[in-house]
Amino acid sequence: MATVVTVTSGKGGVGKTTSSAAIAAGLAQAGHRTVVIDFDVGLRNLDLIMGVERRVVFDFVSVISGEATLNQALIQDKRLENLSILAASQTKDKDALTEAGVGQILDELAELGFEYIVCDSPAGIERGATMALHFADHAVIVTNPEVSSVRDSDRILGILQSKSKRAKEGGKVHEHLLITRYDPVRVENGEMLSKEDVCDILAVKLIGVIPESKAVLRASNTGVPVILDKDSDAGLAYSDSVARFLGEDRPMQFVIPRKQGLLSRILGGGD
Amino acid sequence: MVKVPRIRANRYSLMTLEWPRESEPLAHWLKAQREKAPLLMDEIAIVLKPAPEHQPEEIRSAVEALDRLDIGLMGLTGSSQHRVVAHDLGLAWLSSNHGWIESQLSHETVASQSLETALIMEGPIRSGVQIYAKDRDLIVIGQVSQGAEIMADGHVHVYGRCRGRVAAGVGGQVSAEIFCLTFEPELVSLAGTYCGSDQIPEELWSARVRVGLDETSQKLTFGLMG
Repeated sequence: MATVVTVTSGKGGVGKTTSSAAIAAGLAQAGHRTVVIDFDVGLRNLDLIMGVERRVVFDFVSVISGEATLNQALIQDKRLENLSILAASQTKDKDALTEAGVGQILDELAELGFEYIVCDSPAGIERGATMALHFADHAVIVTNPEVSSVRDSDRILGILQSKSKRAKEGGKVHEHLLITRYDPVRVENGEMLSKEDVCDILAVKLIGVIPESKAVLRASNTGVPVILDKDSDAGLAYSDSVARFLGEDRPMQFVIPRKQGLLSRILGGGD
Repeated sequence: MVKVPRIRANRYSLMTLEWPRESEPLAHWLKAQREKAPLLMDEIAIVLKPAPEHQPEEIRSAVEALDRLDIGLMGLTGSSQHRVVAHDLGLAWLSSNHGWIESQLSHETVASQSLETALIMEGPIRSGVQIYAKDRDLIVIGQVSQGAEIMADGHVHVYGRCRGRVAAGVGGQVSAEIFCLTFEPELVSLAGTYCGSDQIPEELWSARVRVGLDETSQKLTFGLMG
């Protein structure tokens, strides 16, 4: 039985797609057969972050509408043999997603032997987002340390626990909190919410804090999930987060300001 | 569905005006009170309780004085010889042992319905979620997030941090109260009287707080618990 992990946030631009790509790649690296699906129909991004944009022929919607088979639409990652990608359609809109259609695809993916199905949810609380949430077993809530993002995350958690399939059947979706774009220096100066503040407001178990990092933009532009960049702080933080998601206990890194040496202060900060 | 009238036992709080025999003239005293607190006597319902020694004529002129001052007199209470006076003046007679009758009535009411216990919800109650406990109390175990709305016709208890909007006595039950372990609400409302977080006394923020309604002033009262 495959486990459905939905990466969601409510607010846009907080790092859902980057996190989806990193989590999916991390799960695949850990030896689990994983597929990542872009639910942002009409505004596809995941294929760019994964570096497969030139290989998209069929997509999620063409499988739902029966124009293509699932095997035709699945794109095998060239770096990780356990990882596949199902891109979103650029030409259709989110109404193309039906509950029955999405449910059938998830069942077929499970039959194909995938252990984890990572759903990259679009922003907002409309159809695409609720579809991505509907079948979730686990939800990774991506939040920036900033009040409006935290409030939207709270809202999406409410929807998750009332409208998801599990909630309707009387169960509960497992919740995990991932804080992205964290800047410990700005937290110390009181310009940003601390991770404790965010956890206090949302009351969800924290699985990781991803520091604000140049490596993230670099990874997006080159189409390599940032988790594969083992020299970057963000990549290491994502690795830790995936390990915690899988039940490992690791200390938080990059959450206290780094002591800057004289040289780096003169030359300007590193990564 | 056919709707039928029905009689229900209800409790109302009425102000009782106690009028001792040797006091200054009632009209005079009331005028002075109204000047001190102009809003106090507006639209309040009063029951007059004369002393046993008061003569029917004195009561009659007091009632007229209240009428001239536009004070809504509901009826008379006190010693039973004044019952006839109330009848003559067309006023209701509120028997002084009405408490006993009322409790008899309410026992019957309780017995005839099945008892509805409080609605218990496990938190966190998230932003955008609305909970309404109709005709009963609401208990929330855990936190209530900012942007969530919890409401009950009865009392509301929050065993956790409350940052959302809380309303008790939604159906107009003025005796409903709010109890909260960590009080940081956006808005509190009791029987339609509400106040925003900026009007909550600062020293009560994040404290264990009980909110009630003072019916006379129609203002919310905040107090610390325990």
